[in-house]
Amino acid sequence: MRRPHLRSLLPAGVVALAAVGGLAFSLTAGAVGRSTSVQTAADSLTPPPIHYVTHFTTGQVKEGEVLFEANCSTCHGTRAEGSAVAPDLQGLGPATVDFWVSTGRMPLADSSAQATDIAAFVASLAPTAPSYPDGIPYVNTKDANLQLGMRLFVLNCAACHTITGAGDALADGAYAPSLHRATSTQVAEAIRTGPGNMPVFGPGTLSNRQVADIVAYVTGVIQHPDDRGGLGLGGIGPVAEGFVALLFGVGGLMVVAFWLGERA
Amino acid sequence: MSTMPETSAGTASGNGAVAVRNGRKQSPLDAGLTWLDDRLGVAKGGRTFLDKIFPDHWSFLLGEIALYSFVVLVATGVFLTLYFVPSAAQVVYHGRYKPLDGVKMSAAYASTVHISFGVRSGLVIRQMHHWAADVFIGAIAVHMCRIFFTGAFRKPRELNWIIGVTLLFLAIVNGFLGYSLPDDLISGTGLRIAYSIILSIPLVGSYLAEFVFGGVFPGNGDIIQRMFILHVLIIPVIIAGLIGAHLALLVKQKHTQFPGKGRTEQNVVGSPMFPTFMAKTTGFFFMVAGVLWLLGGLAQINPIWQFGPYIPYKVSYAVQPDWYMGWLDGALRIMPSWEFAGFGHTIPFEVFLPGVLFPGLTATLFVLWPFIEQKLTGDRAEHHLLDRPRDRPRRTAIGAAALSFYFVLFCASSTDLLANFFGISLNIVLWSFRFLVIIVPIVVGLFTYRICLDMAGAPRVGKRKRAMVVLRTPEGEYYTVESEPRPGEGHEELEPAPVPDFIEGIAEGNGAGETEPGVRRVGR
Ligand code: HEC
Ligand code: HEC
Ligand code: HEM
Repeated sequence: MRRPHLRSLLPAGVVALAAVGGLAFSLTAGAVGRSTSVQTAADSLTPPPIHYVTHFTTGQVKEGEVLFEANCSTCHGTRAEGSAVAPDLQGLGPATVDFWVSTGRMPLADSSAQATDIAAFVASLAPTAPSYPDGIPYVNTKDANLQLGMRLFVLNCAACHTITGAGDALADGAYAPSLHRATSTQVAEAIRTGPGNMPVFGPGTLSNRQVADIVAYVTGVIQHPDDRGGLGLGGIGPVAEGFVALLFGVGGLMVVAFWLGERA
Repeated sequence: MSTMPETSAGTASGNGAVAVRNGRKQSPLDAGLTWLDDRLGVAKGGRTFLDKIFPDHWSFLLGEIALYSFVVLVATGVFLTLYFVPSAAQVVYHGRYKPLDGVKMSAAYASTVHISFGVRSGLVIRQMHHWAADVFIGAIAVHMCRIFFTGAFRKPRELNWIIGVTLLFLAIVNGFLGYSLPDDLISGTGLRIAYSIILSIPLVGSYLAEFVFGGVFPGNGDIIQRMFILHVLIIPVIIAGLIGAHLALLVKQKHTQFPGKGRTEQNVVGSPMFPTFMAKTTGFFFMVAGVLWLLGGLAQINPIWQFGPYIPYKVSYAVQPDWYMGWLDGALRIMPSWEFAGFGHTIPFEVFLPGVLFPGLTATLFVLWPFIEQKLTGDRAEHHLLDRPRDRPRRTAIGAAALSFYFVLFCASSTDLLANFFGISLNIVLWSFRFLVIIVPIVVGLFTYRICLDMAGAPRVGKRKRAMVVLRTPEGEYYTVESEPRPGEGHEELEPAPVPDFIEGIAEGNGAGETEPGVRRVGR
């Protein structure tokens, strides 16, 4: 007989329900007891919300010159004066250079120390133009206000990067990338320098205090979301949820129905 | 139970003779039932109900997934009403979720965050409610496909088809209302889209929108209370009533069944409601509840605390509605921007066509389908035996084309995600969908038609392979033979699927013989 035994079904169902229920309850009930601790990077001892490093040692500049010569000069020229294939970097300021190099947008990735050195070298070539921040921002997120940060993030950033920071396609082949990997310095640099299609948020738009709040929200909450309630489905919303509901919910139950019923 | 129905139905005599009846002692259960029957006469209806025959085919259980999801929806929904505050009044949140601590928000949003963080097992119930809604509507859709592709909607069951379509659309509407209740950023954006859709209706749009929302968007805040009462009371009650009518009609008209040995237009073959089907279906209820509980506990859905409260001038990209609204959202997204301006009015066709006319047309076509088909085929006879989809190539092709059409629209509601995922331009994705939505249904329809014809033409489809027995000769040589059919495995006796139109004549002739134990046959 292919049909499951009827008398065994009821107990089986009850046991399944109880087991599943118990599991689910213990998982979420645990969540109620925990209190949220939002991670704040205790990285800075300086009281101002953002500390811009503008001065670099001659050692750094020397290091940077060597690195630039080896990695960048083929495109940007030995004095960063630009070429037919790549733009002029003089006067961009150290934050821009540090951002483009440390986020991997320019070849040579990894070590942020190297990025700083190169930034120091480029900065030594010409004074920073007034429209760019004068220095590499180091953010003190310890005293930041997460609630304000969330508000400002939703107002200024979510339209492109989405509310969960997952990133999304913008019109005409542009992308707002995911914010899940950026460091606090990179977030501040992005805000202040406006890479690519992203607008510049200068001090007239967002104060240093506000930038620090946003940075704290991005590195604290966006990058470490409170994903209680089980498996987070990538922060991309109802489309993923719909697939799960149809595949596992409806599909799973159809399999059960298939098992319970006749097939011919 | 055994003595209850027949013995008691006739005698409606003594109030005093509860414990002793027809000279026999009754169990307390029997006594209670007898007492009820003496006053209400429930035995006769109960008999009909208990004797209801359910064909055992698995696809007949799909509607039950929907039914039991609805039960779970009501149960979890009642729990949520104990904590949810349907109000747009601004409050300051102080609770366990620190990033929102001290933030001003609507009471509705604050209470939903509180349900998720502060109420014991609140989150699992909230998530169960939402998963159940997604599964509910999915099950309705799958159930509807079964009805459609097997022709179960034909006379005399057109009314039940219409009830079913109504249920589908009510469920979608209620799902949207529930989704909008928490007043978070994403649902607020959805509500804003709903507002513009109402606004796009010619002539009355702006009045209607302000009437519904109590003013220009976002209105005076009444909308949350209005949605709430619709969501938790009015629509669920209508749904429950329609489900009742749906099932009552089912009992009255009896189930359809697939053609097969001993099954005719004049009978129903299957398990009786009691005890066989009752055991099965109760087990199935626990399975549905268990799966929903599993989803609610293990998979996150709608983490509204990550979205923040709704504030009208804020937007987030990547906003999608729940899956069952996806086809509408997709239609809105890929619609080219056409507008009519003249006579001092602007009609935004880009919103009106996909937002109002299209769902209206969909609903109308769905409701009218049984009658449309009657017109097309000229077949106005009663049908209790189901079609196999391959025997009805045209209907099957139309259904498959329609399904693929809505599926393409559903995919179009995530144009931005697809562009992001595949690294292509959003505009290219958008344009591709404008073509796909026309091409895919045509291709799918033709392809399905072809396959149906091929399958219907193939002889002895669905024949089971017999087991092979491997034997060894004394010399060590191996050879195989087909095994004897085992008892009860008599598939080769099945008639090849008859062409439905002639079924009556053929089915009449065969299979007056025995059926499986536990399976009952009754006349219509
Ligand atoms: C393969 C050629 C190439 C190499 C090598 C290269 N770049 Fe670039 N760089 C470009 C191009 C092309 C752009 C313009 C990209 C754009 O606008 O999207 C650019 C842009 C930049 C920018 C941003 C300019 C602006 O106006 O915002 C900075 C800063 C930069 N490069 C620094 C560097 C550094 C530092 C290195 C060495 C580690 C480097 N680049 C190596 C080709 C190159
Ligand atoms: C108009 C859309 C837009 C807005 C608004 C916007 N961004 Fe961006 N953002 C972009 C784009 C586009 C890029 C990618 C730039 C590139 O690489 O060409 C980007 C890149 C970034 C990056 C770099 C991510 C990485 O790891 O590579 C960060 C960090 C960032 N944005 C933060 C923010 C923050 C914080 C805000 C709000 C203050 C914000 N953005 C507002 C469009 C936007
Ligand atoms: C037709 C059946 C129903 C459907 C499709 C449905 C769907 C939904 C959905 C999708 C949500 C959003 C949940 C979320 O926040 O993620 C919701 C919320 C809610 N539902 Fe239902 N529901 C149904 C029936 C009911 C019933 C019968 C009740 C109460 C008796 C109810 C009470 C609530 C309440 C109070 C909320 C808001 C609280 C919250 O979002 O957590 N629902 N519903």
